[in-house]
Amino acid sequence: MTLTIPVLTDVHLITCIVQRGRADAVVQAAIEAGAEGATIHFARGTGLREKLGLLAVAVNAEKEVISIAVSRDQLNYVFERMFLAGKLDTPGMGFMYVTPVERAATHIPPEILEKLIGER
Amino acid sequence: MAEEIRIKYSDYRRETRVRKRSLSFSKLTRLAAKRRAEAGAPRWRRVHLNAPQVVNILSPYIGGKVGEQFRAIAPLAVYLAVFQLLVLHQHIEQPWSVFGGLIATLVGLMLFMEGLRLGLMPFGETIGHYLPRHHGLTAVLVVALMLGMGVTFAEPAIGALRAAGALVQPQRAPYLYAMLNGWAHWLVLAVAIGVGLAAIIGMLMFLRSWSLKIPVTLCTLGALGLTVLMVDDPALAPLVGLAWDCGGVTTGPVTVPLVLALGIGVAGSAGKGESSLVGFGIVTLASLLPVLAVLALGLLLAALVTPDQAMALGRAAAETSWTSKTPAAEIISALRAILPLVVFLALVARFARAAIADRPVLIFGIALALAGMALFNIGLSYGLAALGGQTGNVVPGAFAFLPGLNGSPMYDYGIGVAVAVLFAVVLGFGATIAEPALNAMGATVETLSNGAFGKRMLIWAVSAGVATGLGLGVLKLVLALPLWWFLLPGYGLALVMTWLSTETFVNVGWDSAGVTTGPVTVPLVLAMGLGFGGAVGAVDGFGLLALASLGPILSVLGLGLFIRLRHRLSAIPILLTDPQEAGS
Repeated sequence: MTLTIPVLTDVHLITCIVQRGRADAVVQAAIEAGAEGATIHFARGTGLREKLGLLAVAVNAEKEVISIAVSRDQLNYVFERMFLAGKLDTPGMGFMYVTPVERAATHIPPEILEKLIGER
Repeated sequence: MAEEIRIKYSDYRRETRVRKRSLSFSKLTRLAAKRRAEAGAPRWRRVHLNAPQVVNILSPYIGGKVGEQFRAIAPLAVYLAVFQLLVLHQHIEQPWSVFGGLIATLVGLMLFMEGLRLGLMPFGETIGHYLPRHHGLTAVLVVALMLGMGVTFAEPAIGALRAAGALVQPQRAPYLYAMLNGWAHWLVLAVAIGVGLAAIIGMLMFLRSWSLKIPVTLCTLGALGLTVLMVDDPALAPLVGLAWDCGGVTTGPVTVPLVLALGIGVAGSAGKGESSLVGFGIVTLASLLPVLAVLALGLLLAALVTPDQAMALGRAAAETSWTSKTPAAEIISALRAILPLVVFLALVARFARAAIADRPVLIFGIALALAGMALFNIGLSYGLAALGGQTGNVVPGAFAFLPGLNGSPMYDYGIGVAVAVLFAVVLGFGATIAEPALNAMGATVETLSNGAFGKRMLIWAVSAGVATGLGLGVLKLVLALPLWWFLLPGYGLALVMTWLSTETFVNVGWDSAGVTTGPVTVPLVLAMGLGFGGAVGAVDGFGLLALASLGPILSVLGLGLFIRLRHRLSAIPILLTDPQEAGS
């Protein structure tokens, strides 16, 4: 018997960079909007902070980078919710972008796999 | 015939919720390039924000900082006030000045911590990183010594110790009186030398991966030996409490992060950064070595002057301290504490050829630290210390007759003493469980022990330890028991457990003692102890902090051993062995 890997298509990756300590609120909003999970890693970043002069103290140079894979159906809604939750329309609060993902793979419960493949 | 129009629900939702407009990033960069060219500036342009945007940026920043300090101070202040009003039926004297003092403490602590992060921490990290690249081990160790000494002078809680000197009666404890008044500078210097030596040993520990067990055992045995030597002499005995309390005072919000930053930087550039235990141990040594140094200073003082001379020494100093009551004194002391440290750090940075970026922010940070420390000192004397002193004065009224206190004794002797001890236990528990440093440590310990020693478990163990320690301390003051009755068996037991425990738990257990005594707890407990001691007629009110530091060592080491034993009994693979021992 050959081994099958269920490969997911129609996946988009939302990456959102916010100040250290603020990722949780954004992830929470994404999960509520239907995202399945999130990966967060720490980073350091430059940008507006260096152009602010003394106000730079209010913007943390340490960042958290949130990566969330969502389906094409979810993309717009999750993107909006994350943008609003992160208050990204405020200067210095962060940056987010979407990249198409060619394929992805993870554990998919067998019964769901059976059902979806049967439908096709 | 009706025509059917189909609209996707998702389109409808999108239109009504958030409007999206596409904008080419190329247009944006083109515009930016044009503007730069017009301004004639080759690099980034300074961004100017309007008022609402400034508010938007600053409000979460300031809100978070205020909230952090508020959560540390408010519960304690409320608890003290409620206890005083409900259990002891006493009104708070000068409530508005105490309230103003608390606000000043809160704002001061907030500014100081932020100033420390912006103005002093960058020095510590870059120096630690660059120094070993250009200079040998000797230079690194000399810098560590100087830095350890420098930060002690900047430590806000040291001020609380100096303030305590005014409350000691010269006739009953001449050497203690002299030490806190005439010799106060020598006292701080002794503490500073202790912290400096701790920084050196800690640095060597990082670099050579030494075990903490040996230095801890040597320091503890030395301090206990000197203690036993001193309790024989009635004139020297009161110094023991002060000396052991000094250990708790030193490991405050300046010393720990700065020395740690230096140590981690050095360890990192020496290629030893991978050990998960990096950063532990220094706190322990920085609380044990000052004890040793102060005890030695006491012996020196006793060798140099007789008790009568010591009394005169203290009095002469008391008369000359002319700045002690003006608000300017706090500002001067803040300047004296922070500026030399900054100058020293700047010189070392030059020496280490470390480039410090962002000069305006750095200067702003130093200014914040100065303002914060001055405010904190002012707030301390009017707010926390006043409240702690008042409570300390009033709580003994629960079991003893106090002149000027209506209805005292309020309860029977036994019940009254129980009320007083209970008060201290709850205070210790509440003050510790809210300590932010402990929370951070808990997370580290959980990772180190692969989850076997959870974060909550550590926090509860340490809080219970501090609570027991404070309770015992109050009992000691009430019954006028000598401090060494508690110190000798306590630290003896701690040493035995140290040799039975794994390296991880030795580090965690001993460090948890230093971590818990923060800038809010120390002045409060010191003031309370002194007020308490004064009210029950004890020679001195010291020793509370010493016992509050001993408690968590015993509770954490004990719990660590218990967990390991349980794992061994249930034949589950032991998760608590540390990486070094498991690897060898």
